[in-house]
Amino acid sequence: MKNNKSKATKTAELKKEKVLTLLQNHGLTMYNDLDQGKFPQFSIPSRSVGNIVYDKKLRQYILGNASALRSSKNMSQLRSFTQLAWLAFFANKLVREGKSSTLRDIYYSSQAFAIDFEDQPESDNIIVDLEAILASAREDFHIFPEERSSVFGDLTIEYTVSGYEGKRMNLSDHPDGYLIGPSLSSAELVDTSADLVIAIEKGGLFTRFVEEKVHKKFKAVIVDTAGQAPRSTRYLLRRLNGELGLPVVILADGDVYGEHIAMVIKSGSANAAHLRELTVPDAKWLGVWATDIEKYKLPTIPMTESDIKRIYELQKDPRYQEGNWKKQLEVFLKLKRKAELEAFSKYGLTNITDKYLPEKLELAKSL
Amino acid sequence: MSSTKETFSQISPSEFFYRNRDLAGFSNPTRSLYTSVREFAENALDACDQRGILPDIHLSIKAIDPEQPDPKQYILTVKDNGPGIESKHVPLAFGMVLYGSKFGLKQARGMFGLGATMAILYGQITTNKPVTVKSNTDGKMQDEFVLLLDIQKNKPIILKHTTKESTKSGLSVSIVLEGDYSKAGTKIRDYVSQTSLITPYASITFEDPTGEKFHYPRIVKEMPPPPTIIRPHPHGIDVETIRRMIVDTHYQIPTVDNKMIVKVRSELGLQKKNLNPKGILDRAEKRWSNLSRPVRTVIAMMSFLNLDFDGLSKIRIDDLDIANKKLTYWNFGESQSHAIELDPESPYYKQLANTVQGDTLHSFLTKRFQRVGPTTADKFAEFAKFKPEKRIGGMTNEELVRLSDALQKFEEFLSPDPSCLAPLGEEPLSKGIMKFFNPEFAAVIQRSASAYSGFPFIIEMGIAYGGDIPPKGIQVYRFANRIPLLYDEGSDVVLKVVNELDWTRYKVKGETPLVIVSHICSTRIPYKTVGKENVADRPELEREIKNALQYLARKLALHMSRQGMADMAKKRANLYSKYIPLIAQFATELSEKKKEPNYKQLIKKGSEFEEQQI
Repeated sequence: MKNNKSKATKTAELKKEKVLTLLQNHGLTMYNDLDQGKFPQFSIPSRSVGNIVYDKKLRQYILGNASALRSSKNMSQLRSFTQLAWLAFFANKLVREGKSSTLRDIYYSSQAFAIDFEDQPESDNIIVDLEAILASAREDFHIFPEERSSVFGDLTIEYTVSGYEGKRMNLSDHPDGYLIGPSLSSAELVDTSADLVIAIEKGGLFTRFVEEKVHKKFKAVIVDTAGQAPRSTRYLLRRLNGELGLPVVILADGDVYGEHIAMVIKSGSANAAHLRELTVPDAKWLGVWATDIEKYKLPTIPMTESDIKRIYELQKDPRYQEGNWKKQLEVFLKLKRKAELEAFSKYGLTNITDKYLPEKLELAKSL
Repeated sequence: MSSTKETFSQISPSEFFYRNRDLAGFSNPTRSLYTSVREFAENALDACDQRGILPDIHLSIKAIDPEQPDPKQYILTVKDNGPGIESKHVPLAFGMVLYGSKFGLKQARGMFGLGATMAILYGQITTNKPVTVKSNTDGKMQDEFVLLLDIQKNKPIILKHTTKESTKSGLSVSIVLEGDYSKAGTKIRDYVSQTSLITPYASITFEDPTGEKFHYPRIVKEMPPPPTIIRPHPHGIDVETIRRMIVDTHYQIPTVDNKMIVKVRSELGLQKKNLNPKGILDRAEKRWSNLSRPVRTVIAMMSFLNLDFDGLSKIRIDDLDIANKKLTYWNFGESQSHAIELDPESPYYKQLANTVQGDTLHSFLTKRFQRVGPTTADKFAEFAKFKPEKRIGGMTNEELVRLSDALQKFEEFLSPDPSCLAPLGEEPLSKGIMKFFNPEFAAVIQRSASAYSGFPFIIEMGIAYGGDIPPKGIQVYRFANRIPLLYDEGSDVVLKVVNELDWTRYKVKGETPLVIVSHICSTRIPYKTVGKENVADRPELEREIKNALQYLARKLALHMSRQGMADMAKKRANLYSKYIPLIAQFATELSEKKKEPNYKQLIKKGSEFEEQQI
């Protein structure tokens, strides 16, 4: 039976091994430096704006070659160096013991040691530093974000987390959906009847989609991104796309933020430029487009100053320089109005699933 | 019809002060006890200062009946090791208001010696008990007086006078007065301790009514140089002062009475003999250089009137009108007034003219004022549009006012002579501050002399930071002529300058442990009130205080930034010893090693590395 481990379990174990080896190597380097009277230091890939470049091949943002040295010799860095060493130590423990933690947790756990994080943003920052050093997402060393999104649909998974190893579950059994947490993220995706993944920005619409049996009508796995998709959600979307070959489509509010939610799922964010495997390069943005607002005569609300400012910002982003992405931004700017997903309710509660979705899915085939 | 008749009568100075004792700080038992301690202590210190004696002052306050509630009767005794007061002056010095030795123009704690007598007066009116004065001037005999003041006559009443052998010179004064030590105690103790700060060359002991002894030993062995009495500065003069100076200068026409005639005769060597007028003049001519000025004047008049001694005894000089060259006299024998023409060619004419008209402006300026030389005097005369040889005695009221105005406005007078001032000096001040506050940092400055309205002054200031000073924000210790100023600090010029300074520019903020010691030395401190507790904000004074304070604040800021760097380094070194062991701990666990790496050398390196950075 020992050799009969599932593929998912093996993947998880490999990943764990990789992280632990990385951490141990860093520990060893520090140890030897200390023992030889050298001040230990970390080389951290620079995440400064100047070092974030868009890789057209990978179709995501990546970090350039610049890196910064964090040395325990430098007085102003000694504290953050120690924090980093502590985090490596703590992550090592989490992974080894199969425990998971959250960003908030880390901030408090640090207080058991003399690691004085001034606030959570400071500890969050150190976590990103460690991600960059190890080139691994924090989820790989068992640190998860607070925000949780959900998934629903005919998808069978098999857990790899301790205590649930080998246990299977179908994600259409509970109509509220399943939380995309550490267990689900590390579970093996065993089987599905779905042809498609629909990522939707809002929990309310997610529930309506389940009620309207969109998963059956369109043979879809439905994912609630709960606003900007968390990494675990993006990671799941990528796996659904990569491992199960399901195309991913995205429905978000008809405004500049909605457009960008789709873009981040497709090609990542500058914030996570140090990480790979979080993107779904072939994901398609279904809507709501700016042009849909006129086409479907959606009720609108005026844009705020910050909405408009955000449009100007995104217009500088290399990913918005062509095609539909560029066009929709221009139309938004022209309209200076926006429409939420719920706007379709003007034409009946099921208008969005009965009319809009099929039309857009049809259109997506040609995108 | 009845009428009330208004009566006019003169009151004595003692009576005046008795009726206005509030003015001098004797308004209530609390204030009076404090003021009395001050007045006697300051007199004692002044006496020692003036003779260059290192002062040894003993103060004691004892309750007559400790069981009684305050206010009650206390015996206040102040003893010094000064020169003492000659036996014959004791009754007047302590039994008469406005009798003193401090009227000259030089810096002293008290101005007129009024305060001590006021304290005695206050003691007498509240307890009806006499003052006891023990004085020893030669280190052999001690005179003891028991005195009361006759308030209406402003005269001492000697109740007892004894002498006995004693080897220690000095003065001891003991009065009984109504006081409230429970309320005045804090101020009195503050006063004594602050006096020791500004008088580091004195040894002071104070025994309070509870029997507690406060001893402030001598911190420095050298006395600051004593001040000298000097002539006034032209800027510090008003019309009335000029008028008085002129009266002092010129010689009045002598009253020709029998006493004067005897004097003239004796100076001419003609006690018994009478000569004719010509004989007298011949005799006078021979002895002219030995004759006194009044006698010369009388001889001059005799020459114009052609009189012998008999004739002289029969007349009275009524008027000498130099402008019209006329001499008017009254002849008793004829009961008639006569006027004669004076011949300006006569050698005796000048003698008379000088007598009446006094000095020339030129010599008045050079002789009666400080730092006015012949050149300045000439320049001034030109500025004031007076002839230098103008006789000041003959000036009209309008001319006097013009002269006084010009003296104020003329800008080429040298600044006032500070030799009449007695600043403490930077070193004694610094030592006093170090001993008194035990600070982490201190700096002092003595500004060079400056003047306001003709009165010279010197600002001395010290700043002390940290150490034993409590972090209560800026505390200001104010002194004027070596007297601590404890009351009414709110409206004081020093406080004003301290508060107006932007301290954040000097790295001072919040509850900094900071002390400022300010000492103003002047022949006249511009006090706002008679109580001598706060100094008015004269612009000249304010500017000097500000300059001194800014200088000290800069020194402090320099210290603070050095201190800040040292603190930072210490903190950093602490950082190494705090964080390196942690890193070692984490690295050991991560690398699965059994024992921790040898990181001690890194902590050492870290702190060395930091020291180099400073």
